[in-house]
Amino acid sequence: MTTTSLTTTTTAGRAAEADGRRRKHGTHLNGLPWILPAFVFVVGLIYYSVFYTGYISTLDWDGLAPTAKAVGLGNFTKMFADPVFWAALRHTAVFYVVTFTVQTALGFVLAAIMHSRVRFAMLHKVVIFIPTVLAPATMAPVFRLIYADDGMANWILRHVGLGSLAHPWLADGKTALPALMLITVWQWTGLTFILYYAAMSQIEPELLEAARLDRAGNLRTLWYIVWPGCRGTTVSLAMLGFIGALKTFDIPYLVTTGGPYHSTEFLGTYIYRMGIRQAHIGYAAAISIVLLVLAVAGALVIGRANRKGASA
Amino acid sequence: MALGAVASLAMAALAGCVSTSTNGTGTSTGAPTAVTTGGGVAPKDLSGNVVWWGYTPGSPVNEQYIAQFNKDYPNIKVTWKQTSIDDYDAAVRPALGNSSGLDVYQMSAGSANGGVAVFGGSAIDLTPAVQAALGSDWKSKLATTGVSALTVDGQLKALAAGAVFAGTIWINQDLFDKYGLTPPKTYDDWKNVCATFKKNNVGCFVQGANQGAFNIDTLHAIADNVSPGTFIKATRGEVPWTDPNLVKAFQLWKGLFTDGIMQDGALGQMQYPDANNAFMSQKYAMVMMGTWYSQYLIPNVMQSAMQAAGSTDKPFTMIPINFPDIAGTGNTGSLFGDVDYGQGVSAKSSNQEAATAFAVWMGTSTAGQQAIADSLNLIPALKSVTPNWDNVKLVNPDKQQGPEKDLVQRASAVTDNPRFATINADMNQALMQALSTVAAGQATPDQATKTLQQAQQSNG
Repeated sequence: MTTTSLTTTTTAGRAAEADGRRRKHGTHLNGLPWILPAFVFVVGLIYYSVFYTGYISTLDWDGLAPTAKAVGLGNFTKMFADPVFWAALRHTAVFYVVTFTVQTALGFVLAAIMHSRVRFAMLHKVVIFIPTVLAPATMAPVFRLIYADDGMANWILRHVGLGSLAHPWLADGKTALPALMLITVWQWTGLTFILYYAAMSQIEPELLEAARLDRAGNLRTLWYIVWPGCRGTTVSLAMLGFIGALKTFDIPYLVTTGGPYHSTEFLGTYIYRMGIRQAHIGYAAAISIVLLVLAVAGALVIGRANRKGASA
Repeated sequence: MALGAVASLAMAALAGCVSTSTNGTGTSTGAPTAVTTGGGVAPKDLSGNVVWWGYTPGSPVNEQYIAQFNKDYPNIKVTWKQTSIDDYDAAVRPALGNSSGLDVYQMSAGSANGGVAVFGGSAIDLTPAVQAALGSDWKSKLATTGVSALTVDGQLKALAAGAVFAGTIWINQDLFDKYGLTPPKTYDDWKNVCATFKKNNVGCFVQGANQGAFNIDTLHAIADNVSPGTFIKATRGEVPWTDPNLVKAFQLWKGLFTDGIMQDGALGQMQYPDANNAFMSQKYAMVMMGTWYSQYLIPNVMQSAMQAAGSTDKPFTMIPINFPDIAGTGNTGSLFGDVDYGQGVSAKSSNQEAATAFAVWMGTSTAGQQAIADSLNLIPALKSVTPNWDNVKLVNPDKQQGPEKDLVQRASAVTDNPRFATINADMNQALMQALSTVAAGQATPDQATKTLQQAQQSNG
């Protein structure tokens, strides 16, 4: 009986394996035309551009001249000795840590509040999300006015008895970066909120009910049930936030143009400054390559940390 | 083929120019007559579509130029494609790689937007066309700054439309009159004027010091006040940036921030739109702008600018004044400038004949130059043309015409005090950095000038 069964299983297994191979083979043949356009697009455009940028990073070139001077790794050597490059990296790191932390905390808390019985919940959701859809180009002049010496930020401070803190926020290298981070938090917390709101909707109601039966309070439920339940969203936001921080360009460029005295310079603004303003295309390409390496490495590290955390 | 087309066009332009006469005020008395060219093409028979890329002066002035051009060349359709000043270099660079979509494009001197040193390589040599249009002595008929600044390796890469000059401050005369003030001539005058305005809750002097090019203008004006010519010599490497006169200029620059002249928070604001809007909405009484601001002497142009700044008031009386003698040397009235923009013709353009016709018309024809002169936006490239004051309506002619005429006359006489032509992009960046660090107290004038000198040396 056992033998027969084993034989039958083995035969059936072989048949399934062969069928699987056929299907697998068939899928390859039948699926290729379907993925070909995307494959050509990705390989032909994106990867070509990446490798071409890598090639340009070895040149001293203004981007238009018919000839360019090959400098090998000269642009990278120059970049690692460039204090503005390191300042841009520092700003990126601080920007990422602060904006990600604050947005995550705010987004998570707001999503949790919106899952409770709140009056005018829809209105609140819209108000929270609206900044996300506003174009930075239209908001930049507004924020320059808000942060100006006679702007609304100082007006509010003076009217709540904090006039001693009032000063031109964007004109001071010490406060310009925090001011930009505040704009970013204002703009992107809505997206974080929406993603957490959706993630919380996926948590099994039975789990929450069980927590209630075990007399867990709101905070304990949030911390031990809801927060772990949103882990995937947090990791995704961490990755997106990291890559977004590396690519940060619009807010600093439009509000402060990287100034004053490079105090809000980011890799993106520095690439633009060197490549477009100063026509050092090779040097800008070298910074772009570093940006790419950092983005890939950061995504891998965050992904690995997530897998370790999930298996622990 | 392209050469032949340019040659025939040049002949057409020459014929057109010869047939155009001017009266005593430089006004065109008629459009070019349809003349037979070497290639048998008359202006009216020349046709094509020309896409013209640029960043200045913008609507409605560019459309007025095109309308004027079409009186002479009715079958050439010109489409104006404007980008913002800040985005121009980024936008035009990829566009120059195509044979369509860009035929004529604006270039300027040195480190300004569309710098000819970078973008000139993509343009054809316009020398034969302009020679045919103006004759063998063409150089003597055009402003020197326009020709030299747009010539690369002996090739005229663009034809200047006109020049702009800085060194002036524009004041709101109505506000000065309202508070019984006279334009400041010394540093003490300036401080007193600012104190009075502040006492009356009116801003005094506004500058968008986060947009560094205008800071360079202010430094240049101060340096020319301290020691005329030293700034330009430094940009040419003939004098070190550590020269005591330039250190002094940086000290005076810093003083503008600490002595209550510059508005608080200037380093966080842009010249455009912030400072411009603050002046146009009459929140501030003084702003550091150059001859390009003259266009706002014209009521409808000023009204548009005021509306863009959020003001619904009627146009006010503004006039240009000399930069005050803050160094106490008596050296005042310095103007420095170079070509604002010139039109180049893309070497890849498939409409080179029509495109060259347009570029040559803008830079050499009396009609084209008169349109430019009368817009008050630029000092015309063609020396024989000046604004026709009978045609130019001002907001307050009694108070504005005298100072404006004087400004145009003095600017036209400047021969060797360029604004950006001698400053490459790297030095431009270094200067902006030096000025902002000194203003913020991050570096002393001594330190900043030493850093500048190092940058100059590493630039060769």
